[in-house]
Amino acid sequence: MRQLIINILLLVNCIIAWSNNPTDISFLPTFNQEKLQLNHYYKHNENDSIQITNLKFYISNIAIYRHHKLIFKESNSYHLIDYTNNTNPTIFIANTFIKKNSSISFDIGIDSITNVSGAMGGDLDPTKGMYWSWQSGYINFKLEGNTNLCPLNNHFFEYHIGGYIAPNSSIQHVDLSGHLNTHNTIEMKLDELCNHINFASQNNIMSPSVSAVDMSKLIKHSFSLK
Amino acid sequence: MRIKVIVSIFFIVAILMAFIPYQIKSLIPSNWPKPVYDFTKNEPSIAKINLGRVLFYDPILSQNNTISCASCHLQYTAFTHIDHALSHGINDKIGTRNSPTLINLAWNKSFMWDGAVNHLDMQALAPIAHPAEMGSSIDAVVTTIQQDIYYKALCFNAYQDSILTGERILKALSSFELTFISADAKYDSVMRNQAVFTAQEANGYLLFKQYCASCHTEPLFTNGLFENNGLREDSLLTDKGRMRITNDSTDLHKFKVPTLRNIEYSYPYMHDGRFKKLGEVLTHYTSGIDYYPNLSAPLNKPIILNSNEKVDMIAFLLTLSDRHFLFNKNYGYIRKDNSSMLQSKD
Repeated sequence: MRQLIINILLLVNCIIAWSNNPTDISFLPTFNQEKLQLNHYYKHNENDSIQITNLKFYISNIAIYRHHKLIFKESNSYHLIDYTNNTNPTIFIANTFIKKNSSISFDIGIDSITNVSGAMGGDLDPTKGMYWSWQSGYINFKLEGNTNLCPLNNHFFEYHIGGYIAPNSSIQHVDLSGHLNTHNTIEMKLDELCNHINFASQNNIMSPSVSAVDMSKLIKHSFSLK
Repeated sequence: MRIKVIVSIFFIVAILMAFIPYQIKSLIPSNWPKPVYDFTKNEPSIAKINLGRVLFYDPILSQNNTISCASCHLQYTAFTHIDHALSHGINDKIGTRNSPTLINLAWNKSFMWDGAVNHLDMQALAPIAHPAEMGSSIDAVVTTIQQDIYYKALCFNAYQDSILTGERILKALSSFELTFISADAKYDSVMRNQAVFTAQEANGYLLFKQYCASCHTEPLFTNGLFENNGLREDSLLTDKGRMRITNDSTDLHKFKVPTLRNIEYSYPYMHDGRFKKLGEVLTHYTSGIDYYPNLSAPLNKPIILNSNEKVDMIAFLLTLSDRHFLFNKNYGYIRKDNSSMLQSKD
């Protein structure tokens, strides 16, 4: 009898453990099908090379849909994905019993209400290097590096993409459908993004502008569900 | 036994005092508009105000430990930098603008002369990082003051946790600055029927309402908007004003309408401090306007004041001086190792 009770308790425990097993989403930046390594030289086009020295961005407003029906929405959903601190940027969300025909949606960047709501903590703390000081607003996406294609400034490029006021709002909404599992990887193809950037004519974007919005659209299309 | 009771009562009182909210509302006149600042996101407390007050006076915020907020925002001159047309920062570097007054900030819709900053909490980031002001960064500030035992204690009192973060530092600075409420000038006494204007002041008030009040709206003496007031661009500073932020040519040479409260003390005037005396300001409005296409609409109609009327207008403007504000002891310098502040937690 006692053995039976223990067995039942173990079974219940297993079920609880299984249902508490969180779903995770990793963001994997790649360059030419390889996992991105900062400060590593990659071949770009035929004869050029490129080095990425900094990659940081905000993912916010994560939601999961099944058959186009919302089944999960993360509250207070703001994540700074930072490749400079050498950890695998993974977001854990509650188990949502994900199966086929699911889709995940998120925003790249910070919504306008948060942008006007004063000082925030955690990933939104202005010490994270993702908030402009001379003008209010979060930097949604930061990409820095160098390539021989940039003629000036020691071939350095700096793209700090932000802006929350129309027409220069650069937050982008991404919808990715496919088969979601307990472990999911969202790939960001930096080589594709870099192929669309004209490094020779524009080696920096540092404020809300039409070019920042254009770049944010390119960034949006570099994400895919692996 | 008795000692135990006394000690425990002492501790209970000390703990309760840490949570006493600071009643900012009690300082606000009843006929004023609702503050713009959302106090629910940053509940004021005496401990938070204390942390902000110590930070406000501490040059530790600057790269070389020489410039504090108070360097350019001195209480006795309505928290501006008296006698300096353009403010100077670390290594005697000169900026491009006249430091503004810090008065009734809870009602400000935006900050800086061009409205670059959208929230009081975020304002301090600009001078901290500006190379001609403090030349530092918020993360450098956090790293430095996190090593200071007194700041950890002040932070613990304010947030029940001794870990300093960017958010906590900025919100503490806001909490202190939000107490800068000036609502007790002679003008306010007259409005409360506790005093009367002299004949000169009364006439100045009429003229003020006729010519100035559309932008310098009572009771805050600003409408919080951006206007081109017909100042010719300085050929060295080439300051485009609000257009720098919006890239909109209709915002060229527009600057935020400043409050006129305590104007007697906040000279020099204008975004670049080009006028030293109130008389010069009035002369600009009566005969110095440059007629730009985006000139503030009310200024298209000439302002005509004879010399007596100018004197009356200035007499009225001086009724906006609030000595209780300028000499309020609660705004002054305080040492971070002040024992009463650290022990009683209030």
